Amino acid sequence: MTTLRRIRLPMTPEEARSLHAGDVVLLDGEIVISAGLPTHQRLLDAAREGRDPPMNITGGALLHLGSYSRDTADGGLEVLYMNPTTSTRFNALMPELIRHYRLTAVGGKGGLDAGCAQAMRDVGCVYFSVLGGGAPLHTAAIRAVKEVACHDLVAHYRLVRLGVEGMGPVTVGIDAHGNSVFASLQDNARASLPGIMEQLAGERAAAPKPGA
Amino acid sequence: MGITYEAVKALSAQLYDWSLRKVPDDTKLGLERALERESQHGAREILKMMLGSARRAEQEERFVCSDAGVPVYHVTIGTAARLDGDIKQAISDGFDELVARINPPLLKHVTNPLTNERGYKGKDMPLVTWDVAGGADWVEILCQPKALGSGRWAALETFSFPTLAQIEEYVMKVVMQAGSQHCPPVIIGVGIGGSFDVAAKIASKATMRPVGSVNSEPVLAAMEERLLRAVNATGFGPMGTGGDTTALAVHVDYASGHGYTPVAVCFNCWINRRTRARLHADGSVERFE
Ligand code: SF4
Repeated sequence: MTTLRRIRLPMTPEEARSLHAGDVVLLDGEIVISAGLPTHQRLLDAAREGRDPPMNITGGALLHLGSYSRDTADGGLEVLYMNPTTSTRFNALMPELIRHYRLTAVGGKGGLDAGCAQAMRDVGCVYFSVLGGGAPLHTAAIRAVKEVACHDLVAHYRLVRLGVEGMGPVTVGIDAHGNSVFASLQDNARASLPGIMEQLAGERAAAPKPGA
Repeated sequence: MGITYEAVKALSAQLYDWSLRKVPDDTKLGLERALERESQHGAREILKMMLGSARRAEQEERFVCSDAGVPVYHVTIGTAARLDGDIKQAISDGFDELVARINPPLLKHVTNPLTNERGYKGKDMPLVTWDVAGGADWVEILCQPKALGSGRWAALETFSFPTLAQIEEYVMKVVMQAGSQHCPPVIIGVGIGGSFDVAAKIASKATMRPVGSVNSEPVLAAMEERLLRAVNATGFGPMGTGGDTTALAVHVDYASGHGYTPVAVCFNCWINRRTRARLHADGSVERFE
């Protein structure tokens, strides 16, 4: 068995650049999560208007993960479960967020587009692809719930700062050198499509015919 | 004794709850088989993690995914079943009751499509389709909560007198559009013919067939097999980060139509949430999955 590389968050841009698309790693340290478009819009508005964002995320890891968070009886915070959401929904907002807040890690599921990959390259930031449907495992990796902001929003939209240990494995979906697993898989699939269709045609010809 | 409002209400709530905490056995088996065949290291790690997540959810009665989706039910009423009370209202009330009592609580996913505001309630929620079964004296309820990944990538196009080649080409087009987005490996449902709504319903129902089941019509069985090979040859892989396993199954069904032929393609993500049970005339509940 190979031991997986462990990554401590937040990373420096140099650490982010040491990762490569396709690497499979475990995450330790601090992440900030939100699954909400309105939340990302607030972060962006604050950046544009020169105000303090609802939570300090500069230089950190901002992941597209939704969670159910609530206050505990003793005045603390707890997260009952968490899981990634589709990142491509945030394509339009991410380049500016990555640049302004100098994020060194983003993530979620499904990847981000070329505009985001360019921003990540400029800043020194990677995208972690996190297992969807992995709530029991991701939740077990939470060690501390440090801060929750945007309380007026539904739970999964809130910004939540978490301490995690051994979260993953996660896959480096986009690295800080402009390589995207998602983009190259789409390209490869497009390139193999004519061959796939030919194979289908051959198998169809040999298969039982309708009405026969 | 008939099939009562109370029984339908309790069962629809229970089916939803179960569906959130268990990956169906046929689907887990499909993932295990995929792991045996998968050649890529990263993909194997993800498949193992999926099986681990499914196991842990079941053992600890946790949600597999935090996106509980929205409640979708398919109800089949036997023509000989005696209904005692408003079973349509019962399903809606069952969901309300579940929201009030479920532990951990659900996130708010019911979305008003005109404002994008989210809550637990909304127009026509739960989404229910109704069917009848000739002669039966039971009511069967299938619950398949749908979320963005498992719902967003469905598509339908209408052709005139398409060839099988055109139909299969369209299936592959929809597969390419979905790419890495729907938490693969997915279950793909294809509905051919009928009318716009019938094709969509057939596709959706096709996703509910157990993974590993073989179509009883040889023509469709062969089509399912070759489409599955074709989908897996795209290489998107588990979670869309590369691998040999992009789909666990392709299920195809059709209805005769006019010659204008809608082709509907829809997906369910790897967790394949799906529970099904029957309420019998004597009040007993028979759970299938
Ligand atoms: S697509 Fe399915 S497994 Fe993935 S996040 Fe959505 S509900 Fe969960």
